[in-house]
Amino acid sequence: MKDVLDSLKKAIEEGQAKDAAKAVQAALDGGAEPGAILREVMVPAMDEVGRRYECGDYFLPEMLISARAMKEALALLRPRLVATDVKPAGTVVAGTVKGDLHDIGKNLVCMMLEGAGFEVRDLGCDVAPEKFVDAVKTGGVSLLALSALLTTTLPNMKVTIEQLKSAGLREKVGVMVGGAPVTDKLATDIGADGYAEDATGAVALARRLVGVSA
Amino acid sequence: MNGRERVRKALRHEETDRPPIDLGSTPVTGIAASTYYRVRKALGLGEHPVTIGEPFQILADVEEPVRCALGVDTIGIWNPTNMFGFRNEGWKPWTLPDGTPGLVPRDFQVDVDERGDTLIYPKGDRTAKPSGRLPRGGYYFDSIVRQDPIDESRLDPRDWAEQFEPFSDEDLRYFEDTSTRLYKDTDYALVGNFWQGGIGDIAHVPGPGLTHPRGLRDPNLWYEYLLTHTDYIQGIFDIQADVALQNLELYRQVMGDRIEVLVMSGTDFGGQQRPLCSPRLFDLLWKPLYKKLNDWVHRNTPWKVLFHSCGAVAPLLDAFVEAGVDILNPVQCSAAGMDPATLKAKHGDRLVFWGGGVDTQKTLPFGTVDEVRAEVRERVRVFGTGGGFVFNTVHNIQARTPTENVLAMYEEVRAAAA
Repeated sequence: MKDVLDSLKKAIEEGQAKDAAKAVQAALDGGAEPGAILREVMVPAMDEVGRRYECGDYFLPEMLISARAMKEALALLRPRLVATDVKPAGTVVAGTVKGDLHDIGKNLVCMMLEGAGFEVRDLGCDVAPEKFVDAVKTGGVSLLALSALLTTTLPNMKVTIEQLKSAGLREKVGVMVGGAPVTDKLATDIGADGYAEDATGAVALARRLVGVSA
Repeated sequence: MNGRERVRKALRHEETDRPPIDLGSTPVTGIAASTYYRVRKALGLGEHPVTIGEPFQILADVEEPVRCALGVDTIGIWNPTNMFGFRNEGWKPWTLPDGTPGLVPRDFQVDVDERGDTLIYPKGDRTAKPSGRLPRGGYYFDSIVRQDPIDESRLDPRDWAEQFEPFSDEDLRYFEDTSTRLYKDTDYALVGNFWQGGIGDIAHVPGPGLTHPRGLRDPNLWYEYLLTHTDYIQGIFDIQADVALQNLELYRQVMGDRIEVLVMSGTDFGGQQRPLCSPRLFDLLWKPLYKKLNDWVHRNTPWKVLFHSCGAVAPLLDAFVEAGVDILNPVQCSAAGMDPATLKAKHGDRLVFWGGGVDTQKTLPFGTVDEVRAEVRERVRVFGTGGGFVFNTVHNIQARTPTENVLAMYEEVRAAAA
C-alpha cells in the first residue's frame, strides 16, 4: 500500500493526471481509508506543489497540471468521502467580480483550495454582488473569495462586500480578495479579511481564516 | 528637435531634450476611448465621436490635434484588419456603454443579450458564434472561448494554420502608402505594428478573429498543454514563426527604412508576482524562434525590435536580450522584481524601456494629481538618464482614469525639457 500511496503523491506533485487517478483507485481498492488518503497523501502533495511554486521551481503550467491531477483523483475519492462522512476544511464561495471575465487565476485558486480539502462553489466570472450574497445566504459557507483582474472592476469588490453587510451576512463569512491590481491595502480599505498574492497564499489565508492548520 | 529625431536618439541610448512620448502608436500604448473623449474635450479639441480603431479593448484612434497638444512623438501604422477579423473601414456610430459617442467599422456587428452584455461577431459574420463579450457595465471585450471537443489522438497543429496567413496585396499596398505618406508628411517616428512574432500569444489563443477556430482554444488548457502536449504546441509555434518570417520579408519590401520600430511580439510572459512560465520552458519553446525572427530583422533592416510583455519578467530579460529584443514594453514596475532603478541598472545599457512612465493599476486611475506628477518625475529621472527611454504609461490609459491625472502626466514629461 505504501508504494501505491507514494505513487499517488508523486503523480499529483508532478502533474500526471492519469497516474494519479490510477493510484487513487488502487488505494481505494486496496482498502485505504478515504479520509486518510486525502489528509495524509493528497493534501500534503498539493502543499508540496505550493512549496515548489513559492521557491520558484514551479510556475503556472506546473501548478495547473498538478491541480488537474488532484482534481481527477478527487473526483474518484469524493463519493467515498461523502459516504464515510468526511467533512471539508470549509466551504468557499468563489468568483470573479461583476464586469470581469478573467478566470485563470480564480480557477487556479479554486483548484488549490479543493486540493487543500475545501469544498468550493465556483460561481464563475462576471458575478453580480447579489449573486455572491445569494450564495452566502444558502448557508454553510465559511469563506467568500473574490477575484478581479481589471483596474476598472476593482470597485465591484467593495460593492460586493457592502451588499453582504446590507444583507446582514458580513459577520457570517470570511472575505478574501485577490487578483493582479489587488493589494493588501485595498483589502483593508474595502473591509475584506485578507488578501493573497497568489494561489498558494490563498490556501494559507483560507486556512488561517477558518482556523485550520496545514 | 522633432519627434522622429527624439525617438531615434532615445533608441540609440542617447539623452534627449526631454523623453520622447508615445500615445496610441500601438494597441498597448494607447488610451481607452471614453477617457480620450474627456481628455480631448478638456484640451478644447471637440466633442465629436471617438474613432475606435481597436474594438477589442475599445481604444481611441489618437488624432493629430491631440498628438500636438500632448507632445506625442510617435505614430503607428496599424494592421488594416483588427482583432475580431474585420477591416477598419466604413465607419458608423456606436455608443459606448458609458454613453461616450464612438465610431466603429462597418463590420462591427453586435447584439445585446438578455443579461445586457454586448456580443460581437468575428469578421462581422452574424452566422458565426459570437467571439467576444463586453459585460454590461464593462469597458473591454474579452474573448468567448469556442472550444470544440478535443480528441487528443487527433491533435494536429495544422488546425491553427488559418490563423497565420501571408499579407494580402491589399494589406501590402496599405502599408506602403501609409508609411510613405506619414514619413513624408510628418516628423513622427513611425512604429510598425507587425505583431506576428507573438508566438503563442494567449490573447489570440481563443481565435477572436476566426469564424470557427479549430484545435485547442481554451486558455486554461493552453497553459497545461505547454507541458503535457509540448510537441503539439511546438508544431503550432513553428507554423506561426514560418509565416511570420515570410511576412517580415514582405513587410520590409513595403516599409523600407521608414519605420523606426517593429512591434514583434505581444506574448505575455509575466504575472503580477513572477513569470508565467519557467525560464527553462521559455528557452525551450520560445527563445529559438524569437532569435530567428529578431536576427532576421537585424540582418535585413535598421528597425529596432519591440517586445510587449506585461508583468514580472525580470528573470527573463537576459534571455529576451539574447533573443535579440531591443525594446521592452510596457515595463510593469508594479510587478515583482520590476523596480525601475534595478531594471535600469541591470538592463539599461541593452534594453530601451518603452513604458513604465506611470502605473495604471493604482497611481494614474486612483492617485491624486500630485501623486501622478511625483511618480512621473521619478520615472523620467530613473529611466531617462542616459537615454534609452520612451515615455508611455504602463499599458493603455484605462477607462475611468481622471482627466486631470492624464493632463498632469503629460505636462510633467514635457516639463522635463526645462
